[in-house]
Amino acid sequence: MAKTILVVDDSTSLRLVVKMTLEGAGYHVIEAADGQQALALLDGRKIHLVLSDLNMPVMNGLSLLAQIKQHPDYRFTPVIMLTTETAEHLRQQGRECGSCAWVVKPFEPPQLLDAIARLILP
Amino acid sequence: MDLELAMQSFLQESAELLEEMESILLDAEADSITAEQLGALFRSMHTIKGSAGLFGLDEIVRFTHQAENLLDQLRDGHLQLDAELSGVLLRSHDHVKAQLAAVAAGQAIPAGEQDNILADIAALLPPPAGSLPPAEPSSQAEPAADSDWLLSLRFGPEVLRNGMDPASFVRYLATLGQIQAIASCSSALPADESFDAERNYLRLEMQFRGAVDEAQLASVFEFASEGSQFIISPRAQLASHLQQALQAGDAAEQQSCRDIWQQWGLWPSTADNAVAAPTLVTTAPDTRPALPAGADHKTGRSSESKFIKVEAGKLDSLINLVGELVIAGAAANLLARSHGSSPLLESTVVMAGLIEQIRSHTLSMRMVPIGETFSRFPRVVRDVGQELGKSIKLEISGAETELDKSMVDKLADPLTHLVRNAIDHGIEDVQQRRAIGKPEQGHVWLNAYHESGSVVIEVADDGGGLDPQRILAKALQRGIISSDALLSEQDIYRLIFAAGFSTAERISNLSGRGVGLDVVQKNIEALRGTVEIDSEIGLGTTFRLRLPLTLAIIDGFLVEVGSSTFVIPLETVVECMELPVTPGDHGRPERLQLRGEILPLLYLRQFLELEGQPGRRQNVVVIQTGSNRVGLVVDALQGEFQTVIKPLGSLFRHLKAISGSTILGNGAVALILDVLALIQHATQQEASRYALEQEPYPAAGSRQPHNNDTSSGK
Repeated sequence: MAKTILVVDDSTSLRLVVKMTLEGAGYHVIEAADGQQALALLDGRKIHLVLSDLNMPVMNGLSLLAQIKQHPDYRFTPVIMLTTETAEHLRQQGRECGSCAWVVKPFEPPQLLDAIARLILP
Repeated sequence: MDLELAMQSFLQESAELLEEMESILLDAEADSITAEQLGALFRSMHTIKGSAGLFGLDEIVRFTHQAENLLDQLRDGHLQLDAELSGVLLRSHDHVKAQLAAVAAGQAIPAGEQDNILADIAALLPPPAGSLPPAEPSSQAEPAADSDWLLSLRFGPEVLRNGMDPASFVRYLATLGQIQAIASCSSALPADESFDAERNYLRLEMQFRGAVDEAQLASVFEFASEGSQFIISPRAQLASHLQQALQAGDAAEQQSCRDIWQQWGLWPSTADNAVAAPTLVTTAPDTRPALPAGADHKTGRSSESKFIKVEAGKLDSLINLVGELVIAGAAANLLARSHGSSPLLESTVVMAGLIEQIRSHTLSMRMVPIGETFSRFPRVVRDVGQELGKSIKLEISGAETELDKSMVDKLADPLTHLVRNAIDHGIEDVQQRRAIGKPEQGHVWLNAYHESGSVVIEVADDGGGLDPQRILAKALQRGIISSDALLSEQDIYRLIFAAGFSTAERISNLSGRGVGLDVVQKNIEALRGTVEIDSEIGLGTTFRLRLPLTLAIIDGFLVEVGSSTFVIPLETVVECMELPVTPGDHGRPERLQLRGEILPLLYLRQFLELEGQPGRRQNVVVIQTGSNRVGLVVDALQGEFQTVIKPLGSLFRHLKAISGSTILGNGAVALILDVLALIQHATQQEASRYALEQEPYPAAGSRQPHNNDTSSGK
């Protein structure tokens, strides 16, 4: 049974590339274009990992992270922030919200898969 | 993975983002900008940067990074969006667009004015200029030789709550080398009910061997949350490692660690060699599975995908097929009628209704809002206005009006030309406007709407209007007309479309780019459209483009002349009547009185030089384009017919009165009449007749359409 990864990013092309990368590695991918849409997908289905952008319209990645960490069913779901932001204060905010990992775009597919492999097994 | 697909998606998305960026910037120049818009501006460059990095488009990443910095400052309120900043951002937008266009075309990314823009951005950024470019993906160092490591891992108490399983880190570590010994230190585990299942109490001690360096090992645990402590040392630094590791815990923990180390022979300093497990070749297999993509993954569809992108070619072939279906349906109907079988006839009628629905649905798939084209004009207006030192306000209405996609593409150029023309030649200088008491800011309107089966697009300005006398003088000077030409106001206005005509005394580098308005008219005519001009001196000019809704299928009206059948586009047909037989004129009056208005008549048989004699009763079809009406005299009326337009070959391109052909249900070919040309001919004929009646000479300005060099009737 393939593990399910929720990919949240407002860029369709980025989602496409991430999706292709992850599916190529045997993960099952579901997508959302912003934090709000991502929350709507937390409907009881099993999600093994969330991979989220930081800068998104409607609801940004940090708010999504905070929501996930308070969600009764999903608070143990590991979250990777996939972003171009490198600023320390943002990482700090992320850690305060309970972020797990921080992968800086642009990523090499093996890099991303590595990061995921540290948190869940395919 | 299909990179080509991803690249297409990237290019399309970037184009959309750039469009949004531009429209926000242009809006913001007029009004104050909202925080939401600032966020969207920032994200436009940010997202392009992020995705461009994926495709290795380093030039774009480098540039967008700087633009993003600028937008970041703007978003955080360190900068104000003034004309200068907005100008730099618009130039950045243009530059990225050019870069992307080069990528799309598979060319090298042009430098363009990149350095200038970057310099301008740098000048706007408060020092020290922004953060560093994004870290390059860490280049993996050459794999070191196998080495032995000691790891002391104290995962923080919150690690489980944060969604991380210490075991998964260990499993991941195992992919880098070989874990030679591992032991858990559980002294912190409470024995009573204060045990919290969500809390981590474990500490792990480990001996590891692998071809890694310290940074690599450290990075394995970099995601672990606050409160975790990892001590990683080469085996050679045993003493200091144990020292550090001991400091990290309370007495119980220390004791338990010492026990472990003693078991491993590390504590107290018993021989620290010869204990290590027999060495194995430790190239751990790459555990990343390489399943083929696209097995049976259900695609999580995000709720935004209300649209399906379809290749335009597929739609075209569908429309072609529907065209054939229309013809086949008509044939079936004809057959049923000739057999006189009413159940069969009924079923073909039902089928015809369905085909009609399919047709209109299929055609509507190709319809896109004209707004797509309009959206480029705020920028055009701004740039042209700035260049000419005129302040212009553009008002757009009817952006949601839909028309055929293939037409939208071809409209962009003529519309741009008209808009530039309106600003350059239409709207007066600020001083002039002030002098005559007009508001300093000029107005340009773009307006689109549907009107009786066609789309009308207006480009209007509140400028000086067209001066017929000046146009006439210029046309005379250029030799476009002769001095005795008798022209209506519309005809005079139309002269500005003549090749080689330019009303501007000076050639600015905007409108006078070597292409005149004649190109506009040619483009519009190629789309079976017309251009009308309304103008009032001192008040402004309106160019009105009238275009058919679609280019593929039209509702036609079938008429018969002799043994030939012709199609008149139904939208141009106003009414039909029998030609009244009058005693004079040999039964061939030149015009009719229709409800008090003079209706010039055009005899199709004579016009097309068809053979045969008309029957006793002839019919008049009143056709109209714009405000011109003409009565077309034909032998018989056959009624409505869905006409699939088959373009004429290049051999017949010069034919003025025929715009295409179609195949009738019975397989016969019918020619589609070019109503515009017919009406032009008839009105000119009428004008020259009128001139003949008034003066001894015919009007020299009237042109004769050449229609008679082929036996086009059959």
